Amino acid sequence: MQSDSERLALRRQIKDAASSRDAGTAVRCARTLVATVNKPADVMFCASVFAGIAEFIQCQPGARTLKTYVVRSVTVEPILPFLTVEAVLSNYVLDLKVGGYGSYADELLNPQSALADFKPDLVLILLDLEEIAGRLPDLCADGRGVGVEEEVEECVGRMAKLLRGFRSGNSARVLLQGLVVPDLTSLGDVGNANLPHSLPSAVRQLNQKLAALCRTVSDCVFFDVDQLAARYGRAQWHDVRMFLASRLSVSANFFSSYSRGLVRAFSAMFRASRKVLCTDLDNTLWGGVLGEDGTDGIVTGNSFPGNCYLEYQKYLRQLSSRGILLAIVSKNNEADVRDAFRTRSADLALSLDNFVAVKIGWNDKSDSIQELAKELSLGLDSIVFVDDNPVECEAIRQQLPEVTVVEAPGLEPWKLAGVLSELPLFDTFAITDDDINRVNEYKAQAQRAELAGGASSRDEFLGSLGIVCTFQSALQAPLSRAVQLLAKTNQFNLTTRRHSAAKIEEFASTAGGQAVVVRVRDRFGDAGVVGLALACKQGESCIIDSLLLSCRVIGRGIETALLAHIGETALKDGAKRLTGEFIATPKNAPCANFYPEHGFVKRVQAEAADSDSVFYELDLIASPPMSPKWITLEGVESNEPSRSAVFSS
Amino acid sequence: MSHQEVPSSLRNILADVLEIPPEEVKPELSTETVSNWDSFRHLQAILALEGEYGVQFDPQRIPELTSVSLLQAELEKKGVAL
Repeated sequence: MQSDSERLALRRQIKDAASSRDAGTAVRCARTLVATVNKPADVMFCASVFAGIAEFIQCQPGARTLKTYVVRSVTVEPILPFLTVEAVLSNYVLDLKVGGYGSYADELLNPQSALADFKPDLVLILLDLEEIAGRLPDLCADGRGVGVEEEVEECVGRMAKLLRGFRSGNSARVLLQGLVVPDLTSLGDVGNANLPHSLPSAVRQLNQKLAALCRTVSDCVFFDVDQLAARYGRAQWHDVRMFLASRLSVSANFFSSYSRGLVRAFSAMFRASRKVLCTDLDNTLWGGVLGEDGTDGIVTGNSFPGNCYLEYQKYLRQLSSRGILLAIVSKNNEADVRDAFRTRSADLALSLDNFVAVKIGWNDKSDSIQELAKELSLGLDSIVFVDDNPVECEAIRQQLPEVTVVEAPGLEPWKLAGVLSELPLFDTFAITDDDINRVNEYKAQAQRAELAGGASSRDEFLGSLGIVCTFQSALQAPLSRAVQLLAKTNQFNLTTRRHSAAKIEEFASTAGGQAVVVRVRDRFGDAGVVGLALACKQGESCIIDSLLLSCRVIGRGIETALLAHIGETALKDGAKRLTGEFIATPKNAPCANFYPEHGFVKRVQAEAADSDSVFYELDLIASPPMSPKWITLEGVESNEPSRSAVFSS
Repeated sequence: MSHQEVPSSLRNILADVLEIPPEEVKPELSTETVSNWDSFRHLQAILALEGEYGVQFDPQRIPELTSVSLLQAELEKKGVAL
């Protein structure tokens, strides 16, 4: 709680800012004042100031003015200053007009009503139990429920007529407020809990049906005021004295909370939800500092305090499952982080696969966030940044004001999921298939864009893929995979010979023969066994009988690496030349120039004239083929034990 | 009572509610003399005073407390140290 002098200082700042028409400062100070001091007079003061500078608030970035008509059966006037202030704090300027007590049907349906004349952007429908379902308390009095369900249906039907009738003539967005579930009734707690048709259960049912009704009306949101009442305590929420004396349905202590709930509910119709949550790692996604505490030292898992972080991870996973994109923005060594996700996977609710983008390094986080926004083709205003470090948070607030910054309570990690839930960042009142699919789409997009954006040349791009080629004897890898490749590969297949397993074994076992498969992986995954070459030595020449590559991996230099591998082995076997053979088919044009491109020289045709084969020669001593520098080679020794014998075909 | 000053906390709250400068809040100010002191503004004033001082007014008395001095007297009667 602020001391009174701080409170007065804030008020003075607000006033000064208003007189110099500095809406931004006025709003910022008001936010602090309202958040830290709960004095109704201060809220009225802010409302009065805001009314005076409304035109300047409207010019704030992202501000929206909403002509708002309140249809009501209860007293709302004392709440309006609170609604005005909460709206401004959420960057809405409300131009408010309030309807009469009993005239809501006429206001909603009559095309000449005051509401229609006002041409509102938004209509708030705030009716109480008496107005919506006045007969229910008596019908529920005996708990047996004669006529209760019929009455509920009739009420919903009446509201449906109102909403649909309104919608047919007016495009204003609509908020329909539900009912607070009555707390103390003549049946008592035991009767309310046990009898089939108590008033509380009937009102709950009515609320659910009204919510379902709102889903069928376009631009209509249901405001579950009972959820708020329950959160703060129904006994506190409702002030019977003021309700009976003045028809105020909410206790004055909750005017701000109620107004905030209203703003949050209608805001879902006017603003898109944030799309990305960028999380820090150390002391945010897990406890401790990875670089200092090590993989085993970071705190996460099923027992306290690791389970605080696990809760946050689960929360993020839930967001992801409804289409919110997750990203990591962390100052760390990327290898350490990958290792931590791998070795601590049992203690983590998220794997790296859950993140559409990962920015780990020692850059400024603002740079990382900007890169990320660009890669995902999303505005900074759709990004939420969560970090425990106040300095990092402040840096982002200053450098990227559009980004929403959530400071993780580092010393109270159990609070983080709740802090996020209290903010309206990811609010939505409808979830589509597109939302659900968004995560996968953006993931692929981010990966491609990240590489293309970072690479200034093809070589650099390929280098950034982190390609690793593992060469093995075809006998060490599953032979069936080699046969399958020979049988299926068409595009990058130089001779398209569909050899059998026995023939492959023959190449492998003959002195000077080669039967090599290549297995490829890169930073995005393991492509498996994707290439094959068969060769044998005749005199001083090594003749390549077959060379093929799955079309999934063409164009990354893997074919060159395979050729280089064959050449290297041939040299060891004493060969001085490589002989390549190409047989054109309707499908293998992509590799027609493979040998010339690698320095081979076409041999003058000496074979039978009817042969389709074209032969090429390369001098192995003078110009042995070289593997591209961006490819890491593994398992070059042909007698090395297989590490991928389990790879399935 | 018109010769007395209105206690500052009461004066400031009523100034906020009635949207007038605090120095204009005099004991004799009433629903008759302040143009925007209507029934809703009156309810706001009552709720603000209840919130500030932690008291509750009897709903039957609320409509009768139509001036600054009457509000002050009612608060003092409830033991509020103004």
